[in-house]
Amino acid sequence: MNYTVRMKGKVEEKTSEKDGLKVQDVLDEMELSSETIVSKINGEIVIEDSVIEDGDEVEFIQIIYGG
Amino acid sequence: MECTKCGSRHVIIQRKESGQALCKRCFIESVDKKVRHTIKKEKFLKKGDKVLVALSGGKDSVVTLEILNSYRERNIIDLCAVTIDEGIAGYRAEGVEIAKAHAERLGIPHKVVTFKESFGIDLDEIMAYEKHRGSCTYCGVFRRWIINRAARDFGATKIATGHNLDDESEAILMNYLEGNTENMAKIGPKTESNSEMFTVKIKPLREIPEREIGLYALAKGLDIHLAGCPYAHESFRMEVGNIIKDLSKEHPTIRFSLLKGFDKIRLALREELTHDYDYDRCEICGEPSSNRLCRACTFLEELEHDNDRL
Repeated sequence: MNYTVRMKGKVEEKTSEKDGLKVQDVLDEMELSSETIVSKINGEIVIEDSVIEDGDEVEFIQIIYGG
Repeated sequence: MECTKCGSRHVIIQRKESGQALCKRCFIESVDKKVRHTIKKEKFLKKGDKVLVALSGGKDSVVTLEILNSYRERNIIDLCAVTIDEGIAGYRAEGVEIAKAHAERLGIPHKVVTFKESFGIDLDEIMAYEKHRGSCTYCGVFRRWIINRAARDFGATKIATGHNLDDESEAILMNYLEGNTENMAKIGPKTESNSEMFTVKIKPLREIPEREIGLYALAKGLDIHLAGCPYAHESFRMEVGNIIKDLSKEHPTIRFSLLKGFDKIRLALREELTHDYDYDRCEICGEPSSNRLCRACTFLEELEHDNDRL
């Protein structure tokens, strides 16, 4: 399965063999905290339990920076 | 997963502290309702108030402006806004532009005030000095000075800031850890003073977690400045914030209980610990001060004395 991850203007193509890959799995892999990030799939806000499908664009928006 | 309120399958948040799952519409409604509840409970607004919003362009202040604007649209209050440019290269400019655009979109009187024009020095210049007290100390004091003055210039009866639940819980724990009982008696939903030159400050978002404010801004499609202050890592507040963040992972209600518990004791603290200051005018700038000089002028004198370069 192929999908893309967009964050801070950068787009990365990714491939996964895992069935039912969730947004949380990608956050974990990228060492990002769901406490500071809002996630979108194909432009719609989703929760971290959402499953990514082939061709999806996942976007991570950091909303908490500290300070 | 379905929205706990309407059954929609497009859930955008699952609240760990309550188990509630909400779709976009029900989430926006729930935040609006909670803020309205805080405003009513704390008696933040009365009809005819003119509220000055301290508008940085970040999520907290933009959401504060947006929600208070619903009161303005119902002719309950009037609004104005001030944006402070501290002079932080590569950081502040974008927020200022976003703030301007929001004020213009809503037709709200707005002005931008710089540290440089107010104090003859900006934050980057202060931080370039050898001896200083740390960025956040100056920033807090200088910003309050500008906001107070702007409130009087606009004829505002209240000042609204975007402090959220994370900010409030950090402030409470910080003051406990520092043993700063004087500050503990001062902090709370409303900041009032017996000097008429200080305008009452209100915090409409104090019961909303920071992440939910960001989510609300994105869900409503509001343009917000998404960036971190380059000086933020220097603060004790951030260290305390990280401790609470870690604890929240296993104890998601901890921020709520910290605030709720503090709210129960703060009136007793105030009773016991508040001093009635006699305010006079600062000898240099004329702002209200319980000492010969206000804190802003004290810091400016100290910087000049310690660094001999101003």
